[in-house]
This record gives sequence, structure tokens and C-alpha cells, in this order.
Amino acid sequence: MLEKKSQDESTRMVILGPNANLSPAELVHKIHMMGLPLTIKSTCYGALIHGEKELVERAAKEIREFDPNNIFLKERGFPPGDPRRCRAHRGGAREGFHQLEKEFKLLGYVSEALSKPQKVSLYEKKRIDIKTFKKIAEDIMRV
Amino acid sequence: MKVAIFPPNSLILADLVERKGHEPLILQKEIRKKVTDPEIDSLPFNITQEDPLKGLKYAAIEVPSGVRGRMSIFGPLIEEADAAIIMEDAPFGFGCMGCSRTNELCVYYLRQKKVPILELKYPRSREETIEVVNKINTFLDRLEAENG
Repeated sequence: MLEKKSQDESTRMVILGPNANLSPAELVHKIHMMGLPLTIKSTCYGALIHGEKELVERAAKEIREFDPNNIFLKERGFPPGDPRRCRAHRGGAREGFHQLEKEFKLLGYVSEALSKPQKVSLYEKKRIDIKTFKKIAEDIMRV
Repeated sequence: MKVAIFPPNSLILADLVERKGHEPLILQKEIRKKVTDPEIDSLPFNITQEDPLKGLKYAAIEVPSGVRGRMSIFGPLIEEADAAIIMEDAPFGFGCMGCSRTNELCVYYLRQKKVPILELKYPRSREETIEVVNKINTFLDRLEAENG
């Protein structure tokens, strides 16, 4: 029973990018205003939401709408306040925080790219061989 | 579509895949199954006898048990993948991603699987990040166009 219950639950980290229009406090307030039966925890990077999978998914979609290009969501394995991970119990930041810290440095640029999407080639640019280059140069010279 | 990402615990990759309506195959979902299982009482040493045996499918018996243990979690994720995004030279190697040999083995299995793969280098600057994000979005759009 306990196993089934925990498998039906989900935890999401809501991370605010550096250019977000919201503060973590405002974000938490807005999530509370949704009126969903979720556990909401305010954190330095944004918020943590925990509850039934369907409700968390629904909340996640609505949270993205607050600031689509500056709010990032990530699943978390451990539930909030879990004594095995919570720094209040074990001291020091948890492992996932160090990674978040690293990736956070790029989030501003990711937001910028999302706000100005461009179609790009997936292939690596290769150097052309000398013959082709010579031909292009000759064609230009003729013009 | 189910898209495997590497590193499988990356925030940026998981978020971008989800934005495009695909399902990112992330490590946290597998870890959750382990850490919320009431039968495992010696956490965080959350490995059971069965896990290294499951890992044998992906790594030989003489391979360190840490690799096999990790592969028992990564392996099923790789098998589910319909496409993959691999980001090389990621600067983080914490927790589950702390074993370089396992990471190499995962990338090897992803390449062996005949699915569309996008390989990128971890971005270090603004220009590189913008290019990487656009490449990922183009790749995911193409997947959607090809598979509906």
C-alpha cells in the first residue's frame, strides 16, 4: 500500500532563471493560489512541489505559463524534507544542488535562446577542399 | 516520444525535451522508485542483491559492482529510448553520474541503439549555449515531424 502510494506521487523542482519576472516568494504565493492539494516548499532557487502525479503535472503546466522562458522544471527523486537529503538533517548542500548551481550559470543564455528561436543545421560545418575553394574564387573573379 | 538524455540528470536537457511535448527519460524517476520503496531499509545504500544481477545484462562479471549497479538503473532507461540527446564533457559528476566508466558505457549503448541521436558538447559560453538550445529544439521538432 505504502509502495503504491509513493509510486503515484511526484516531486518537481521549479527553478527560476536569472531573468525571471518573479521572486521565489511570489512564485510560491501564485502556486498556493492555484488551490491544489500539493506540498509547496519555498527554496532559494524557486520552489519544490510534491503531491499526486496528475496534480503535479497539472500544476507544472500552469507554473510554466507564469514566465514560459524563465521558469525551468526538473523532476526530483527524493521527496521534500527527506532526512536522507534535507540539509537541515545531514548538513551541507545535497549533491543535486551542486549540479543545479553549475547549470544555473547557463540558464540566462537558455532563456535568451528560447525567446529568440532559430532554425539551425544539425550537421557540423566542415572545411571545403582546395579545389572547391579555387572554383568559388574563380567564379567570383569572373563576375 | 521517449527521449533519453545524457547526462540523465540534466535540468537543461530534461526541461527542453519536456517543453516540446516529449518524455525525457530521466534518472530521478528511477531513483524515486528506489528511495520510496519501503522494502529497502538501509538507505542511501539503496541497492538490492538483484540490482548487480540486472546490471550483468550490460556489463560483464569482472566489471566493478558499482558500474553494474549503476547500469541496472541506466540500462532500462536506455532500452526505452526512441531517440537520444548526448551532451559530452559535462562538468558535473555528482552522485549517480560520478562514475566515468559507467558514463562511457551508457554513451556506447546509446550509440549502438539504432535511434536518432543528437551529440553535442557542453556549452561554455553564451554563443555556444544559444547554438546548443537551437540545435536541441530543431532536433526535437524534426522528431515530431517524422513521427507525428
